[in-house]
Amino acid sequence: MNFRNIFRYWRTVLTVAEVTLRHQMNDSFVLFGIVVQPIIIATLALFMLKDTATNAAMFVVVGSGLTGLWSSLLFISGNSISAERWQGTLETLVGVPTPFDVIVFGKNLANVVQSLLSMTVAYLLAALFFGYSLHIDQPLLFLVSLILSVFAFISFGLTIAPVFVMYREVQQWQNAMEYPVYILAGFLFPILLLPGWTTPISYLLPPYWAAVHCWPGA
Amino acid sequence: MNAIEVQNLQRVYRARIGVVKRSIKEVMAVEDISFDIRSGELFGLLGPNGAGKTTTVKMLATLLIPTKGTVTIMGNDVVKDANEVRKHIGFIFGGERGLYWRLSGIDNLRYFASLYSVEPDISKKRIPYLLEMVGLKDRGNERVEGYSRGMKQRLHVARTLLHDPEILFLDEPTIGLDPVGARDFRQVIRDLQSEKKTILLTTHYMFEADSLCQRVAVIDKGIIVAMDSPSELKKHVADLSVIEIETFGTSNEVVERVRALSFVDALHVQEQDQRQMLLIQTSRGAEAVPDVMTSLNGTKVGRVIVREPTLEDAYVRLVGGNA
Repeated sequence: MNFRNIFRYWRTVLTVAEVTLRHQMNDSFVLFGIVVQPIIIATLALFMLKDTATNAAMFVVVGSGLTGLWSSLLFISGNSISAERWQGTLETLVGVPTPFDVIVFGKNLANVVQSLLSMTVAYLLAALFFGYSLHIDQPLLFLVSLILSVFAFISFGLTIAPVFVMYREVQQWQNAMEYPVYILAGFLFPILLLPGWTTPISYLLPPYWAAVHCWPGA
Repeated sequence: MNAIEVQNLQRVYRARIGVVKRSIKEVMAVEDISFDIRSGELFGLLGPNGAGKTTTVKMLATLLIPTKGTVTIMGNDVVKDANEVRKHIGFIFGGERGLYWRLSGIDNLRYFASLYSVEPDISKKRIPYLLEMVGLKDRGNERVEGYSRGMKQRLHVARTLLHDPEILFLDEPTIGLDPVGARDFRQVIRDLQSEKKTILLTTHYMFEADSLCQRVAVIDKGIIVAMDSPSELKKHVADLSVIEIETFGTSNEVVERVRALSFVDALHVQEQDQRQMLLIQTSRGAEAVPDVMTSLNGTKVGRVIVREPTLEDAYVRLVGGNA
């Protein structure tokens, strides 16, 4: 990624991000992944944790937000190049004078904004419908952890997107990769509850480290 | 001055085949092509499916790297100066794809204007102008998914003209359009030509090439088999007449029997639902009809016409009657 290009084409980056966001928000599959699914997960978790420790709600907010982030990464960032190919727009994007990394950066910026919506939805659900008073112990640390996590997810997305393009058979594993990562990355409960042999797998997953670093901040 | 110069262009596709014993299969899409297009010229590239037309256009549009040969656009090499070339060209590939269907026509144009680095104050004026030019002024705010095929194709034209390129590549732009839509689109092409745009048009429709192009190149199996003005190409078949015979349920055996007749220069079959139109090129003119009818032997025959050859007949002869 050439960051000089990002600054040079800053106006294009913003337009790409804005138009991508609008395009994806018109897709009910995307809306389900980043809004409805985190609501379902957060609701189930909040009911389960209703009579436990008071700070459990914040774990649910962060955890369900991370599920939205992971789904967004897996299906939206992972498919970002393939989707352009399916739409027949990839050739046009490759054939414009704007460098391709500028376009990809703009698209990922849209994904970042979109992903944060999951966490906001879970937050509003816990605060407004379940009456939890949500408190962040170290707001600055939480914010930094969150931003780094989002960029870690997006970077992982950028890594898997070309893999999905080059090896189409890998795409068949997309659905199967969604829920196991929720569990293995410890989004909603500690991985210590899992059998010991799963721990090395968790350590290999970037979402696990995102979850680990968001908890202390929360 | 030449806007486009193509010299000894070649493109080979390599595909891996097999699971256990993997091997590389090479397909020669474009073997050796050379041509020049003058500034402001409307140049046609004709050829059957798989002849290498789209591969050639993609190499000219910087979307594919040639295996061999050179292409210069406005003096810039398409490989070494790809970014500079892209500022001067626009391209349309036939069909409905290539647009964001869940966005409005205006949002699509705004997006691509940004990718072509068109300044916002310029695109604010240019987008309404282009929408009016392609007849989508009142539909610009609607999502593209609600557009007809012809409207999508016209939006492609507007998208291509956002940065006001000097050179346009139109790859089978009227494919799949209804007759009225195709006619309107051809008028758009004429308007672009009157604006002195250099246009490379690939098409399957010979009358389209005949009526629009100043020069055409016929490409077959990756090489150019003829290149001239439509009127000069028609002279290739000036000594011939064309017998059009409408038949119903003709078998391949009967077609081959007719093709084998000594006076048949070329035979092309057009399938139209239940009927087959046999287009027979012969120097014997109407005199050949009785012998052909004898060869058809028992096949149900409709109307029979003997006419002067067209560009399509010249094309059929050039590509060996297999088009």
